[in-house]
Formats: sequence, structure tokens, C-alpha cells
Amino acid sequence: MTAQLSPKDRQERVRERAFTTAGLIAAVTLVATIAIFLVDLTISSRGSRSTFGWSFLWHTDWNPVTEEFGALPMIVGTLITGFGSLLLATPLALGIAIFLADYAHRRIVEPVKYLIGLLGGLPSVIFGLWGLFVLVPLISKFEVWFGHAVGSETLVTAGTTGVGLLASIVLLALMILPYSASLILDSLLVVPNELREGSLALGATKWDTIQNVELPYIRRSTVGAVVLSLGRALGETMAVTMVIGNGMKMPGSLFDPANTLASAIANQFLEATSPLYVSSLIELALILFCISIIINIAARAILRKRTQ
Amino acid sequence: MRNRHFPALLALLVAAAVLSGCGAQGRDKTAEEITGAGATFPYPLYSRMFHLYDQKTGVRVNYQGIGSGGGIRALMDKTVDFGASDAFLTDDELGAMGAPVLHIPTCVGAVVLSYNLDGKPALRMDATTVAGIFLGTITRWNDPALVALNPDTTLPDLAITVIHRSDGSGTTSIFTSYLSAVSPAWKTEVGAGKSVSWPVGLGGKGNDGVAGMISQATGSIGYIELVYATKNDMPVATLRNAAGSFVTPGLASSAAAADIELPDDLRVLLVDTPAANAYPISAFTWILVYREQNYDGRTLAQAQALKDLLVWMLSDGQSVNEGLAYARLPAAAIAKSMKLVDSMTYDGAAIP
Repeated sequence: MTAQLSPKDRQERVRERAFTTAGLIAAVTLVATIAIFLVDLTISSRGSRSTFGWSFLWHTDWNPVTEEFGALPMIVGTLITGFGSLLLATPLALGIAIFLADYAHRRIVEPVKYLIGLLGGLPSVIFGLWGLFVLVPLISKFEVWFGHAVGSETLVTAGTTGVGLLASIVLLALMILPYSASLILDSLLVVPNELREGSLALGATKWDTIQNVELPYIRRSTVGAVVLSLGRALGETMAVTMVIGNGMKMPGSLFDPANTLASAIANQFLEATSPLYVSSLIELALILFCISIIINIAARAILRKRTQ
Repeated sequence: MRNRHFPALLALLVAAAVLSGCGAQGRDKTAEEITGAGATFPYPLYSRMFHLYDQKTGVRVNYQGIGSGGGIRALMDKTVDFGASDAFLTDDELGAMGAPVLHIPTCVGAVVLSYNLDGKPALRMDATTVAGIFLGTITRWNDPALVALNPDTTLPDLAITVIHRSDGSGTTSIFTSYLSAVSPAWKTEVGAGKSVSWPVGLGGKGNDGVAGMISQATGSIGYIELVYATKNDMPVATLRNAAGSFVTPGLASSAAAADIELPDDLRVLLVDTPAANAYPISAFTWILVYREQNYDGRTLAQAQALKDLLVWMLSDGQSVNEGLAYARLPAAAIAKSMKLVDSMTYDGAAIP
């Protein structure tokens, strides 16, 4: 049955095909870009991988003069700041979202939502400056207070600058808070009212409803929000560089200067001239890439298990 | 039917994005434009010089302060006419450049020790105390070594917080070269380089990052370029030089450091030089060019334009230096630099 196509139909078909092709190209480009990243990072880090092998992952020396490189301090710094900030930000984000969705008056929800969006869009260098000039002095005071409280002479007198892991964790938590809060809020707002009303009709209190109806309903998107926030925290460079102290040694406590993978790369890449130095920095990027992928896969696995 | 154009528009956008990536490299270079890239330290000086040069001759010089390492790479990739670096190339690095590279100094810079103490007292230090502070063996401001050098100043019982650069930099290279030259312990434990494994301290990004951290924390000390300390009115330490006298960092004292017997290729450190009034942490910053200019399809006109620019920077251009807090090259250094510029060739023959 070959019905004659009208010119309009034919036009429609061409349009359809062009759009499909363009969409396909865009999709393939995206996937190809990620693949090229991985391949390129792997190839460019060959020098470092063949010199240090797997020991690159657990060596704690980073010495550009003798060209001995190990990534462990930066890996530890990245994971501690990333997960630390998540630990701090997620409960707050949930609280903000629940308050706005279920308790706050409609009239304040919109402006607050707008402000959260605004905060999320602030360039990170502004967070960094604020961190350096406002947060760091506060952390420094806290450090002295904490030192007195636990009776640690070294903490009190060791030139408490406030710069270090703790400052980065707090700053990163503030930076990812708007992200996770607005993502969780958006999913809370689409919880069907029937569910909510059904629960209330059964005699459940407001808190019961939140706990047993709403939170389970948004579990999946909450994990998504958390993973997205973690991604931002792990990759954040500028703000972290400004408050973490950029120490290339293993941190001994939360008050010590440390470094993250992203911040180490951004700091050192421009002036790295020796081939081994450059490829070691690229291997840091490869490690960061792998950490992000592993976390994404892990998040998916957790979700799948939960939904089964 | 507005949205009929949408697929075409999308395709056009993709095509434009792909093409713009290629277009940037295909630009042809004329003699009226010279491009360079490298060190950020002399960037203010170079942009002023090149602005004046453009007004005077109509030749535009496009300089990008992407860091010494980037400048060296760009010269090696032959995407620029000249590179610029705060550290001279080692013999190995020179070998990797593929052809002989000339080091033309343009000014003398100084790295100063700045600190944050209440009342901004003027402090004197010598090589041993500076090395001790950065090695972490001198940890308090009232250390006997510091007190002995500053008998008239009351030094507080306060921990010393060391601030260093977190990014690789020529400044670090100069400072650690100084420490390696004056302290055997530093030389064996840490060494010299654009970034090193610091025994103690916090890292700040860039001169402004270090300056910012110093101004934040009482009891801190760090090293920055002279020009940053001058601009921000920060206290700087007076250092004992190799001749034994205490010298305050400044334009005259850093220029004096270059007033020594210089090697012909001018690849030389000016740290701890024996000159009487020399500030001990001084250094040249260099422009790097290939000696043989006929490479990668360059024209004689391009080579001439580059040579003219270098000659101008070493003569009239030097008058820009001091207004921007960079020390002028001493006469002997200029004479040797001119000789290097004259040794540039095109096809093996001298460039007219």
C-alpha cells in the first residue's frame, strides 16, 4: 500500500529525519566526548603510570624536585572534603525542602526558592573569597576554642590560621546546599496530593505523612540530588584552593592544610614543564574521573537494590 | 511555520562549533603582529612596553601571560614568536627544544620576604634564619636567632606561619634557588624548583594569594615579588647578602645583584651574588627566541620585526621598567643581551 504522500507530508518527513539526525549527532557527540576524555587521559598519563605503576595511588610523597609523585594525600583530601560536605549539607537540604514544601506559607516559598536558585548560580570564586575573608577567621576562632576544650596545647598555639580541611568542608557544604535543597524541593512538590490526603485521611499526623509517604516517594530523586551535589563537591576547584591551604602532605587532622585532586591540578599544571610531572598531574585527573564514575555507578546500584 | 527552521538551525550551530575550532589556528601571521606567551611576573611590564611600541612603530605585540611553562611549550610548538620565562631552561630542557634557544633578559626582579606582625616592625634576617623558618626549625618569632639579629625590636612569643606558593611559579624557583645556594640543609632536604615539597606551611595561589594570606594571619611570613609588596604597602625583611651587609630590597639593590661577571648566554641565577650592595634574592626574567629564525615557514620580515622589538626592549624600552617597579638591566647585561640578539640568524645569515 503505497499511498501518494502530499507535499506537506513529505516536508514533514524531511523535517522529522533532519531532527532525528541532529539529535543523534548531539547524543553521539556527548558519549564520544566522554570516551575521548578517558582515552586521552589514559594515554597522556602513560609516563607516570609506567614509572610509578599502581603505587602512585598509595604513595604520599609529592616532590616535583626529585620527581617522586604519589596521589594519596590528594585522593584523601578529595574524599574527605566531598563526603564531609555531603554529610553536613544533606540533612540541612532535606530540612529546608521539607519546611518549604509542607510547613511554609505559599507566599514565602517562591521568594525563598528564587534565592536558593540565585545562591546555586553564584560563581565559586565568590564563595572562595567569602570563605577566605569571613569563614576562615571564624574557623580559626573555633580551632582555638576546640583546642582549649580538648586541652590540646598544639592546636591552640600552632599558628591557627583556620585554613584547612574543615574550612573547605564547611564552604563546600554551603555551596552544594542550594543544589540539593532545590532538587529535593522540586521532587517534594510533585508528590501527588492524593497520597498526602489519603495518609491524612487514615489518621496519620503530618509528620507520619512526611516520614512514611513523602520521603519514600522522593527517595530516588534524593539520591540523585545527593550524587549531583557530590559531583560538584568533588570537582570544585577555585573555592577549595582558596581555603584548603594547598598542603601536599597527608593531613593529620581536620585542621591541617590539605589539597584535593582538582585543586592540585589547577595549581600546578601551568608551570609544570618536565614530562613526568605533567603526566603525573594528568594521572590525577584520571583518578578524579574514575572516582566520579565509580560514585555514579555506586549510586545507581544502591537505587536499583532499593527499588527491588 | 517558525519551527521548520529548527533542525537547520541546529545543524548550523553544530557546524559552526566544529568549524570555529579549526578556524583559530589557520590565521596567518603578518610582520605587523608579533605574538608571545609566558611568564606572568613581567606581564605588567610587557603590556606597557608593547603598548608604547605599538604607538611608536605600529607593530602590534600580542602577549599572553599564561605562565613560564606554557610559554616554553608554546615556543616549542612554534605557535608564538617568542616565549617568556622566569627560570632559564636547563640543559635538558634546551635539548628538548629542537634548536638553539636564546635567553634575552628584560629586567631584574626581586623576591621579598613579607610578614604580618603587629606594629609592622622592620626586621633583619640572614640566610640561616630564612632557611630555618622555611625548613620549620625556627618556629617562633622570639627565636634566639631572630632576636640576636633584631636587638632593638621586641619580637612576640608567637608561632610563625609559613606561607608559600601553591602553584608552580618562577617566584618559587628564584626563592628556592636562593635557599639552596645559602643552606646546605635546604639543598639536600628540599632543593630548588618551580614547585617543591614544602616541609611546612600553607599554600596560596599566585602572588596575590600569598599576599592575601599574609595579611589575613598575624604571625605569618611569605615570599612575594617586590612589586606586590610595594603596591600593597607590606613590610619586607632586610637581608644580609653575601658581602655581609644588610640590604633592603628595592630597584637599585636588585639591579646591583646583576652587576657581576655574567656568562655569555646570560643563563644565570642572581641569588646571593658577591656584589657589595646586591639584594640576595634577585633574578632576571627572560624572553626566549630561537636563534635560527627560518623555521615553520617564517618570513625574513617576521624575523626582522622580532629582532627590532628585542633591540627596542633593551634600549628605549628600559625606561619603562622603573616606573612599574622592575629594575633596569645594568649596562654590562644590556651589552651582552644585545650581542645575543645580534647572533639571531635567518637561513644562517645575520638578520639586518
